[in-house]
Amino acid sequence: MPRVDADLKLDFKDVLLRPKRSSLKSRAEVDLLRTFTFRNSKQTYTGIPVIVANMDSVGTFEMAQVMTKHAMFTAVHKHYSLEEWKLFASSHPECLEHVAVSSGSGVADFEKLTKVIEAIPLIKYICLDVANGYSEHFVEFVKSVHASFPNHTIMAGNVVTGEMVEELILAGADIIKVGIGPGSVCTTRIKTGVGYPQLSAVIECADSAHGLNGHIISDGGCSCPGDVAKAFGAGADFVMLGGMFAGHDQCAGEVTERNGKKVKLFYGMSSDTAMKKHVGGVAEYRASEGKTVEVPYRGDVEDTIRDILGGLRSTCTYVGAAKLKELSRRTTFIRVTQQHSEVFS
Amino acid sequence: MPHIDTDIKLDFKDVLLRPKRSTLKSRSEVDLMRSFVFRNSKQTYTGIPIIAANMDTVGTFEMAKMLCKFCLFTAIHKHYSLEEWKEFAAQNPECLQNVAASSGTGPSDFELLEQILEAVPPVRYICLDVANGYSEHFVQFLRDVRKRFPDHTIMAGNVVTGEMVEELILSGADIIKVGIGPGSVCTTRKKTGVGYPQLSAVMECADAAHGLKGHIISDGGCSCPGDVAKAFGAGADFVMLGGMLAGHTESGGELIEKGGKKYKLFYGMSSEMSMKKYAGGVAEYRASEGKVVEVPFKGDVEHTLRDILGGIRSTCTYVGAAKLKELSRRTTFIRVTQQANPIFDQGDQP
Repeated sequence: MPRVDADLKLDFKDVLLRPKRSSLKSRAEVDLLRTFTFRNSKQTYTGIPVIVANMDSVGTFEMAQVMTKHAMFTAVHKHYSLEEWKLFASSHPECLEHVAVSSGSGVADFEKLTKVIEAIPLIKYICLDVANGYSEHFVEFVKSVHASFPNHTIMAGNVVTGEMVEELILAGADIIKVGIGPGSVCTTRIKTGVGYPQLSAVIECADSAHGLNGHIISDGGCSCPGDVAKAFGAGADFVMLGGMFAGHDQCAGEVTERNGKKVKLFYGMSSDTAMKKHVGGVAEYRASEGKTVEVPYRGDVEDTIRDILGGLRSTCTYVGAAKLKELSRRTTFIRVTQQHSEVFS
Repeated sequence: MPHIDTDIKLDFKDVLLRPKRSTLKSRSEVDLMRSFVFRNSKQTYTGIPIIAANMDTVGTFEMAKMLCKFCLFTAIHKHYSLEEWKEFAAQNPECLQNVAASSGTGPSDFELLEQILEAVPPVRYICLDVANGYSEHFVQFLRDVRKRFPDHTIMAGNVVTGEMVEELILSGADIIKVGIGPGSVCTTRKKTGVGYPQLSAVMECADAAHGLKGHIISDGGCSCPGDVAKAFGAGADFVMLGGMLAGHTESGGELIEKGGKKYKLFYGMSSEMSMKKYAGGVAEYRASEGKVVEVPFKGDVEHTLRDILGGIRSTCTYVGAAKLKELSRRTTFIRVTQQANPIFDQGDQP
């Protein structure tokens, strides 16, 4: 008979952080910068470990320019040409230490990745992103990329369980992307029934990764700054955001009007929209696994960044963490049935 | 004192499938075809084991024509006349191995069933469907049908517990329909308080059936391709769909236009609508146990079928099952508090 794991797995919405005694006087004292040395590449990272997702609407060069100013990171989407990369690299060299170049496991993707990295040696991060990080084929691909680029830091995913985090780290990845189906424009759980509640996935995967001196990214499921804080509290080294960065000036696509309100298009990378744009449509044997939505236009991303970082600093003062690094050690989650008062929502 | 089972029974919404290591490279490698040999009829089945429900809005001849192209199955509703059956059989002989003729326990139902099976011998499946498969009367009826048609494969239900699955199999049924009250237009749980969460029902009934070399259908409660995958993962040999196949060109009933949008009617077979149509109304001693809803018109069912089959293929690659047959063996369910991220659930679709 199929097995049912008896213990309930948790999402961000199922918990809150318990406040703890704190000697901090002001949010301004909180240090959000982190420094990591990666297990396989031996490279060092310093920055605020929030990453813009490698989706073609948010992981743009325009976004990277703003993120760099805040020491935040951008996983640039894989659909830029070599020429566009060269142009960006020459006009914004300061951004290159804060971006990753992305690739799927296809041959054409890998060829372009190789050309971009050879043309722009200052890029030190590679983001290898497939829908299902559990395939042997992907493990082999990670091994071959690590063999080709032994000194580049490799992000790889997505997975949601400890044993696969370990496997990918041992195959040569430095930072494992954790999350299957939590995203706001992802329909994998609806279409396949497969997935894992994000908070539990992060707690379990962080534990596995840290045991091997590896790192993880919590990828997807954050809908507010509090969720970002919970992801860090759960043990994520990095937090990747898509929907929270959608709808800004720095995102791809036009601002349009609908019913007198300004909106921008945002969609999953396996949605009909994305597949039509990049591969000419959804193949016959596949179902689309993403949504297309219009999000309200939100102006410059600077304001959103301040809101997220301000929220994180406040979390740290509530639990008595002077540094982001201390947040997960100071974290006690309590289980709840609602997040906030619904009276005026 | 009444007895309370303390372990919580689970619905599809309470679980997700845990991904597992996989050697598959692409969804296109997944084989969804299954072959079964049935315990009592000794007949063999080969196909993708998804069944259109024997509801008059879904289990239509038009649906059967399209589903048989995809190797799917249709339980034809019991309200077609003998003449309509003959005409369908003459025009679509290739579909007959993928359809069942349905019947309740009433004498007129049974008479029509006999006439259809005599007139159209290539129909090899009988679907005996009653609201309450627990009645002795139904068991006796099943025995009579088995005696009369020893070589036909009999689907019978509905039940939700192992002991009754065993009883029906031992009384001559090959495939047991599992599900009381999970359907989208079923109000049995509201009207009676009786029911059983579908995922647990499927797991328990599959276990009981497979022990006797019988088979089961998970009937009702699937609202998306992921639920279909979960039903197979839980051990269902077949999955029956009503609401997910409603509202298409091939579905029964007229197209309705309202406020510039197109709809089709969909209703439970114990709803007032259905009982008025076929039995002249709801009898005085009964409550209606079904809803009537207008579902948005979804076009040709072909697109929905591709969506469902593509979803299940993706599930299989996530858990490392090269064949649908391996899915339940590769299944570990985890308990969850929500399914998908609800942020864009309303009103944001362009």
